[in-house]
Amino acid sequence: MEAAVEWAARLHHLWRSVTSITVRDELAALVLPPLQALPGVVAVWGLRHGPGLTVIEHRWSGHEPDPAQIEVSRALSADAGEQPRVIPLDGTPLAGVADQAVVSRFDVAGDPAGTFLVLTAPGADTGRITTCLAQVVEVTREAVRAIVVRRGEQLQQTRDALLAEASLQMDAVLDTAQTMRRVPRMAVPAIAEGCLVYVVEDGKPVMRSAVHVDMRRLSALLGDPAVADRLIALADRTIRGGGTEPGDAEALDARIVEPQVLRTRGRVIGVLIFVFDRADSQVPPASFLRDLASRAALAIDNSTLYEERRREVVTMQQHLLPTRLPVIPGLRIAASYTVGDQILEVGGDFYDVVTAGNGAAAAVIGDVCGRGVDAAALTGMARHTLAALLQEDAPPVRAMHRLNTRLRLDGSWRFVTAGVALLRPGPDGVAVDWTSAGHPAPVVMRRGGPAERGTGGGVPLGVLAEPRTGRSRVLLGPGDTLVIFTDGLTESRDADGCMFEEQALGETLERLRDAPVENLVDELSRASAAFGGTLPDDVAVLAIRAGEQPE
Amino acid sequence: MNDDLIFVVEDTDEDVEAIDRAISRSHPDVQVEFFRSGTEVQPRLADGTPHPRLLLLDLNMPGESGLDVVRWIRARRDLDGLTVVVFTSSEDQAEADACYAAGADSYIYKPLNFALFQSVLAQTLNYWGKVARTVVPPPGDSSAHT
Repeated sequence: MEAAVEWAARLHHLWRSVTSITVRDELAALVLPPLQALPGVVAVWGLRHGPGLTVIEHRWSGHEPDPAQIEVSRALSADAGEQPRVIPLDGTPLAGVADQAVVSRFDVAGDPAGTFLVLTAPGADTGRITTCLAQVVEVTREAVRAIVVRRGEQLQQTRDALLAEASLQMDAVLDTAQTMRRVPRMAVPAIAEGCLVYVVEDGKPVMRSAVHVDMRRLSALLGDPAVADRLIALADRTIRGGGTEPGDAEALDARIVEPQVLRTRGRVIGVLIFVFDRADSQVPPASFLRDLASRAALAIDNSTLYEERRREVVTMQQHLLPTRLPVIPGLRIAASYTVGDQILEVGGDFYDVVTAGNGAAAAVIGDVCGRGVDAAALTGMARHTLAALLQEDAPPVRAMHRLNTRLRLDGSWRFVTAGVALLRPGPDGVAVDWTSAGHPAPVVMRRGGPAERGTGGGVPLGVLAEPRTGRSRVLLGPGDTLVIFTDGLTESRDADGCMFEEQALGETLERLRDAPVENLVDELSRASAAFGGTLPDDVAVLAIRAGEQPE
Repeated sequence: MNDDLIFVVEDTDEDVEAIDRAISRSHPDVQVEFFRSGTEVQPRLADGTPHPRLLLLDLNMPGESGLDVVRWIRARRDLDGLTVVVFTSSEDQAEADACYAAGADSYIYKPLNFALFQSVLAQTLNYWGKVARTVVPPPGDSSAHT
């Protein structure tokens, strides 16, 4: 009676303990000792089976089984059912260990089957041991079933989280190469041991990214031309609607290889090849891999389209600018134009340099508000109007007046800031007459002295019926440099909202004082972009140095 | 080498807690020792006691970087069998290339979501655990196997 109460208490404790375990490996330590403690029990062995009832894991209490004894146990498990059976061990390699074995095998959907063998000494109460084993098997089966359910829930959580995080990560970049690296990096090893990205280029799949939990292993495989060719063939077949062939997984030294086509906007743009070493139960369903591939395809396609569009914008922008600047004796001139980051429409900054009569030259810079086709058309018109009139010796104020009239006549709501530097070389240097219609003031970098800020003034063209301009004059001595620019340069902001103009323009100019003008214009744009972390607007910079001969 | 031991070098409190929680759930038999810097783990790896099967390494830490630690480990013949897994949120491909060139075995993305974080760690330990089991014979009698 006392033994029965004691067993009931052990069983109760067992039920409570197994509910908290998360992996099957923890089970043996809980379920074997109570059976071992029963009178007449020599050893308790637990087997975990693979396909064909092979033994993939074994645990023991009491006597440790050797490989021959595990093989005998495997044979006994083949005939066992869930109801424990008492099997005499006479004439078997286990005869030296025990008199009889009480054997029970259980199956749980979604996880390997298991077998208990309770080895008993002569005279043991096998009836009672049979009853106790049946109860322990019931606890074990229930615990394994709960682990399977929890694992399924966790896998689903992982996959949901992966899809969400993958979308977030992939959508956060507009760089195609980076997107193609992020896709496999997200997948490995969360859902697969390896993931390779192939994209279609000139009608053929080309590997663009590959990640494996063991990169050395993957690199060695990819270094084998036969494997590389086999993967290309697999990608090619997948693109054409086929799939894996026998031997594909073996070639990659993997258990399973699963290709998924990258399809978006009705086009096939490539293939993802997933490589699995893990157990079947851990391999995500094809529907999930398809979903991930479709999100990856969209992200890759978006970044590709973005890059194409951006290239077009940069090309179009260049068409709105002079292809080359005139050569003017006594002046060294350089210009740069930088399209703002993540900008997909043509902007409105422009510049030009023209020669006028009497050996003078005019440098023009301006900014049409807004972006897009309308702004681009206006940009072209504004630059050509000012440049053509200045080239015909029209005074800058008159040229601006004409442009203002034209803007008002067209009924455009867009306004234009503009600045013209009329440059007249003379015996004392180069006289600069600066005329501004709401444009940022120029900078004069004195040779051997600090940079000075000129004056701006005026009102943007297109706003008033009678344009209002600001005018000032400076003299450039030999080696002095006039720098004119658009507001994209000065209004770049850092994380605290401070502007480049307030915080860093002065020291940047000081640093670049002796730089050649070609470097000066590029470095100024770069410094502004670096200050803000990104360049939110286009930047045009024109630098004119007196007393240097053009190349 | 101690197959049931792993070292984690991680300086962020939140990540230490998450790694501890994740591994204790997926691999309760694995013993984890935490170190807050490369400087802290080096004497422990060099003290002559059996080294762990795997070292999980953050990349960006104050003082000695994860990359420095990888180089230090790979310069020591007595740590040849140690699997080095860089576990980082860094997006820099050049850093990944540098880690592999220095001898890291894995360069693993550190996700934000805990379910994913746990899965990434569990699969990493599973993978390198299996590799270890193919070359190391199973342990003998042990109370852990009761």
